[in-house]
Amino acid sequence: MQSPQQNVPVIEQHDGPAIPRKSDKGLVSAWWLSLVLSTGTLAWLVFVEKGAYMRLIKFIPDGVLVTFQVTVFSIVLALLLGLLTGLGRVSRNKWINLVASTYVEIVRGIPLLVQLFYIYYALGRFVRVPDMVAAVIAMAVCYGAYLGEIFRAGILAIDKGQTEAARSLGFSRAQTMRYVILPQAMRIILPPVGNEFIMLLKDTSLVSILAVADLLRRGREFASESFLYFETYTVVALVYLIITLILSKMVSMLEERLSFYVKR
Amino acid sequence: MRKIVVLAALIALFSAQSVWAKTIVFATDATWPPMEFVGPDKQITGFAIDYMKAAGKEAGFTADFKAVAWDGIFAGLAAGKYDAICSSVSITEERKGTMDFSTPYFKVRQALVVPADSKAKTLADMKGKTLGAQISTTGHFAVKKAEGVKDKSYDEVGLAIEDLFNGRIDGVVCDDPVAAQYALQNDKYKGKLKIAAIIESGEDEFYGIALKKGDKENLALINKGIEAVKAKGIEKELIKKWIGQ
Repeated sequence: MQSPQQNVPVIEQHDGPAIPRKSDKGLVSAWWLSLVLSTGTLAWLVFVEKGAYMRLIKFIPDGVLVTFQVTVFSIVLALLLGLLTGLGRVSRNKWINLVASTYVEIVRGIPLLVQLFYIYYALGRFVRVPDMVAAVIAMAVCYGAYLGEIFRAGILAIDKGQTEAARSLGFSRAQTMRYVILPQAMRIILPPVGNEFIMLLKDTSLVSILAVADLLRRGREFASESFLYFETYTVVALVYLIITLILSKMVSMLEERLSFYVKR
Repeated sequence: MRKIVVLAALIALFSAQSVWAKTIVFATDATWPPMEFVGPDKQITGFAIDYMKAAGKEAGFTADFKAVAWDGIFAGLAAGKYDAICSSVSITEERKGTMDFSTPYFKVRQALVVPADSKAKTLADMKGKTLGAQISTTGHFAVKKAEGVKDKSYDEVGLAIEDLFNGRIDGVVCDDPVAAQYALQNDKYKGKLKIAAIIESGEDEFYGIALKKGDKENLALINKGIEAVKAKGIEKELIKKWIGQ
């Protein structure tokens, strides 16, 4: 199978650290440099400067864990929502299409912070979910809409001939989608989806507003008690950076795994 | 010509202000009823606000209030973004290390607010439960010190109370006038919440005005004002007006 759109130039924009690629020529890539600089600075602060940094590093690990949990659960849920939305958006059924499109329109028009407040406090009157669950649902609902758009674009990018070929071989619509279209779409959408993952991770810092004890909240607790604002936010920023760098590397590895039948 | 007149008038206005009365800018996190909060007319109001305005009248300064979020309010003082903090700041030894305090203007204790149907009588009854408090308040410190209690910090005490009301946490610890405001007087929470206990920490806790370390001039002015308000009985009136008993 020829992979579609192989020679079409794609405008890539990143909302997090750029996803490192094999094609990045040169001895030192920006990714490596950032990683070395950030981990180096953090290590230097903790092991050489010690003092406050040591106490900080002992104070925030559970926050990092919470940030991680929120991210992972939100990603899983958002992917499901995104796939459903994407399929709904290309569906030929008028009503399914309308529902999916309306969901995307509504969610994309409300700032994430407002959505978080809404799901947590406004809906708290009817549904009493724990804070973590509310945070994950809000993140997933928001990012599900964005991912849905990416899925839709990926599905539409697959050449019409692919569908025609599969249908003439006797595949049903659902089978065509499952065995022919989606596997190819996956490869196209992985870079933008990976990008969304990184954005989602950074946006989890917003859940600290809901008193979820994530990395940022732990940092704020430490800072407002010790008055060490500079030290605290330096460490918090570095930790976020290191996590997003690692995540972007994971995405690029996944890309390589998925592109195994593209001629290199 | 008209421009010049307007300019002259403006200059006169500003200079008049600075000549007749010194302005002291107070940062306040106006989410702490009845001490300082935003009233229905969108103006910052409350016991401490009236108190400082009265103190200004007595000592000859204009009290100007600036709304600032609690988290970071001390950093702003250190950075010189305002002259003082009037935001129910309890005077603690740790805080004395980084800022100066005025004469105390109000005595508080920490209260534990629980749902009306709760059986809890003391803080010890809350073992294994989650207690909320506003981030880095003395209430939050008390929760952190308590044995076997999970703490949860909020940006504003109102959000903690709302979470308690919605059943997400088991109690809230905050200053007693605030607890009374929410549990006994607030229309929404009245009858649904109650004050289970006053937490005895062994030492009295007082509110003071926080100033930048070494700011003798404003400290003297504010202290003079506070003492006058106490001596003239204005304090009693304010307590009657805002707190009741």
